[in-house]
Amino acid sequence: MRSYVLKRILQTIPLLLGLVVLTFLLLQLAPGDFLNTLAQDPQISPATLDAMRHRFGLDRPWTVQMLLYLRNVILHFDLGQSFSHHRPVADVLRPALGNTLLLAGAAACVTWGLAVPLGVWAAARARGPADRVLSVAAFVTLSVPELLSGLLLLLFAARTGWFPIGGMRSLDWEQMAWGARVWDLLRHLALPALVAGLVPLAARFRQMRGSLLDVLHLDFVTAARAKGLGEGQVLFKHALRNALNPMITLFGYTLGSLVSGSFVAEVIFSWPGLGRITVEALLAQDPYLVMGAVLLAAVVLVAGNLAADLMLVAADPRIVDA
Amino acid sequence: MLRAGNLRWIGAACLAVALAGCSRAPGHAARVFPPLPPDPLALEADDVGTYGGRFTVAQTTSPRTFNPMIATEQSSREVTNLLFAALTNMDNSTQKDYGELAKSWEGSADGLTWTWHLRRGACFSDGHPLTAADVLFSFEVVYDESLHVSTRELVMLEGRRFELSAPDSYTVVMKIPRPYPLLVDAVGAVRILPRHVLEPLYRAGQLASAYGVDTAPEKLVTSGPWKLKRFRQGEETVLEPNPWWLGVDRAGQRLPYLDELVFVIVPDQNTAALKFQAGDVDGVDNVKPEDYATYADSTRSRAQHYKLYDVGTSLTSTFLWFNLNPLNRDVDGRKKGEPVVGAVKYAWFSRREFRRAVSKAIDRDAIIRGPFFGNAVKNWSALTPGSTLWYTPNLPHDDYDPEGAKRLLAGLGLRDRNGDGVLEDAHGHDVEFNLKTNSDNNLRVAMSTLIRDDLAKVGIRVTLTSLDFNALTTNYREDFQYEAMLLGLGSAVPADPGMYQNFFRSTGQSHYWHVRQTTPDTPEERDIDHLMDEMTRTADDARRHALWVKMQERLNEPCFVVWLPSQTVKLPVRDGFGNVHPTLLTHHLLWNIDRVFVKRARR
Repeated sequence: MRSYVLKRILQTIPLLLGLVVLTFLLLQLAPGDFLNTLAQDPQISPATLDAMRHRFGLDRPWTVQMLLYLRNVILHFDLGQSFSHHRPVADVLRPALGNTLLLAGAAACVTWGLAVPLGVWAAARARGPADRVLSVAAFVTLSVPELLSGLLLLLFAARTGWFPIGGMRSLDWEQMAWGARVWDLLRHLALPALVAGLVPLAARFRQMRGSLLDVLHLDFVTAARAKGLGEGQVLFKHALRNALNPMITLFGYTLGSLVSGSFVAEVIFSWPGLGRITVEALLAQDPYLVMGAVLLAAVVLVAGNLAADLMLVAADPRIVDA
Repeated sequence: MLRAGNLRWIGAACLAVALAGCSRAPGHAARVFPPLPPDPLALEADDVGTYGGRFTVAQTTSPRTFNPMIATEQSSREVTNLLFAALTNMDNSTQKDYGELAKSWEGSADGLTWTWHLRRGACFSDGHPLTAADVLFSFEVVYDESLHVSTRELVMLEGRRFELSAPDSYTVVMKIPRPYPLLVDAVGAVRILPRHVLEPLYRAGQLASAYGVDTAPEKLVTSGPWKLKRFRQGEETVLEPNPWWLGVDRAGQRLPYLDELVFVIVPDQNTAALKFQAGDVDGVDNVKPEDYATYADSTRSRAQHYKLYDVGTSLTSTFLWFNLNPLNRDVDGRKKGEPVVGAVKYAWFSRREFRRAVSKAIDRDAIIRGPFFGNAVKNWSALTPGSTLWYTPNLPHDDYDPEGAKRLLAGLGLRDRNGDGVLEDAHGHDVEFNLKTNSDNNLRVAMSTLIRDDLAKVGIRVTLTSLDFNALTTNYREDFQYEAMLLGLGSAVPADPGMYQNFFRSTGQSHYWHVRQTTPDTPEERDIDHLMDEMTRTADDARRHALWVKMQERLNEPCFVVWLPSQTVKLPVRDGFGNVHPTLLTHHLLWNIDRVFVKRARR
């Protein structure tokens, strides 16, 4: 088991290296650089711009910039300095990561909290009217882009006043008691979590339904029914336990998309997470901040997949031998 | 399952939220101030206000730093301009300067020595006296080449620094290399830093990282009307009054009146508009013309308690130009120095008759009715009608006259020889060009479309490309890979012709149609260079105005740029605030926020 984990971790090293090279290359292909916006300012002379370009190292070949970056990351765990924030990249990303994980966690609760019970309910009433309605609803949520549902919900919040229009806290957060703070946070979290959670919901719902339907046709279920067990007992005690196995694996894989899965919702709802920082960094062409955000998302993705595999191994030890 | 205990807890939470909702503005506790300084700064305002309340505006990005020397982008500058004062400041409503930390100043007869008298009793937000030593320190920082302070160029003349000395704590003497008409404005761009806090960091080479956004609010010592109360990246920046600020109203009360000034972060202007409608934001400083009608709806403005202020014509001018740049290196078998656009198109673009014909073909009234929804005016200069001091009416220009355009084109030998509706030159080349603009600006994209249709009517085929702004910048600054481009020229502060040297001078980086010329291409450009030279040396206002008129005439006669309409600026602000006076100069809403007060119990 230990060697399996070690092997998986070692496999991620070339992956991350490849990612760094690719991201650097893509940033290099984008026209202009970080100083482009400054160049618009008539007060800043070309000589000053050249001096700044030199100070930031932007006048060196991109390969040299990349190797220096890799050296700092590997030897010193130093993600570099954000040009636009005038701070170390790690300091910029740290608070945002927590906020993103909070939103992504809430979104996962929405997805799984709805997908599993609805999937079970639909499977138990397979091909009935309820199942058909749910299937159609699933296709609708699958078809509506996250961007559109986000904007519509934002408009809904503005029209009704039931939810705040974006952000993570109210202005009076500091004066609130802790109970009120929790409530305030939940109100701000509700819509972005719903938007980010609805995207994978339809797929998970279909998978849960399909998985349970497969199990319901197996012999041991028929045997359980033949024993005279009630339908509820057959469903929840026998069938569901077996049907959940593939879902657990899937759950593990969704851990991997925790960081990147809610980027769109973050941007629409002004959620102060990694999504907004990454988009802003890309627009500002702040190379090391983009690299830092991409690396962070990649590390979480890799760790999530590893966790999923380990869960799978725990469920089925034959995989390690294979 | 919910137990009784849980229900009680939820009830208590709901009550707390309800109570919090009742008192969203900060409390009105009486403020305690230090005694007034001997030389307070009396600020003009319509009404004498009362203390308390909060004003909230939206920002699309968080400030990156609170260090005014390092701040380069708008979100940081909006905040640092409120945190740090300078010797002079501009009254946005009159577009004229006044003494802020300086009580008065006078120049020698030759205009080379200037003496600044500081206000006695001025203090930083920690109560430490603000003296001439702080002014000298701030200039030393600005002049430090390793810091790349953006305002440095403003306080340099012919590559030389000003010489500063301080004969006493409240006097600064400044020697400058030559007379400088923009001196007062330039000095106003240097924000005064607390030497007692920052000098050790500066000497240790750490000034660039000082006063970053992670600075604890109590450690951020400011010289302006506000100080930092709270900062949350990507969420909000909250400022509170600096109790030592020497600004007073006419009743002698210390300013600012408000308890809090809040910048909330939103992803874009649409969300800012939604937040305004919901009452979360008290004013919007950037509204799209297509939204003016919605805001102007009187039922809506009464129901949502706001007023839409018509501020005037934007100081941003919009225009298109043709690429006359030569290749700056050998490319694909073409030699350095040949026109980038090729000999055929250069032969058209370089003729003033062609550019004038294009200008005459454009129906600006249709543009104003269309993309601007009527909220724009025709403009023929870099300084639009919004500039109260420098706008020049009746400049030579080429407005809509399609028949005149056709005559000019025919005069160049451009005719529709094959009857396909598109003109050809004598060698049979179709008269066509590509027009680029930035894709994130819907107004410019819409204008380009109308221009394409207008030019088709006189036989010129235009293809459109909208690109990311960074790509465009590379195109017009470095690789010159474009034929024609539609962009704008943002407002400089002060809105003075001397601030547009880069645009007017043939050597300028923003002399878009042919940048960084070694010798002027045309007699007009040579004249403009001379006029600009004289303008930067003359302090006499009447003379400068005369030079400015000539300069604009010399630019417009050969139609180097094809001017397009400029937008009218309208800004909504929530009712219930006194002394609200939005202006064209930035920051439109916050320039006098130290005088804004809450008129009555709000919310």
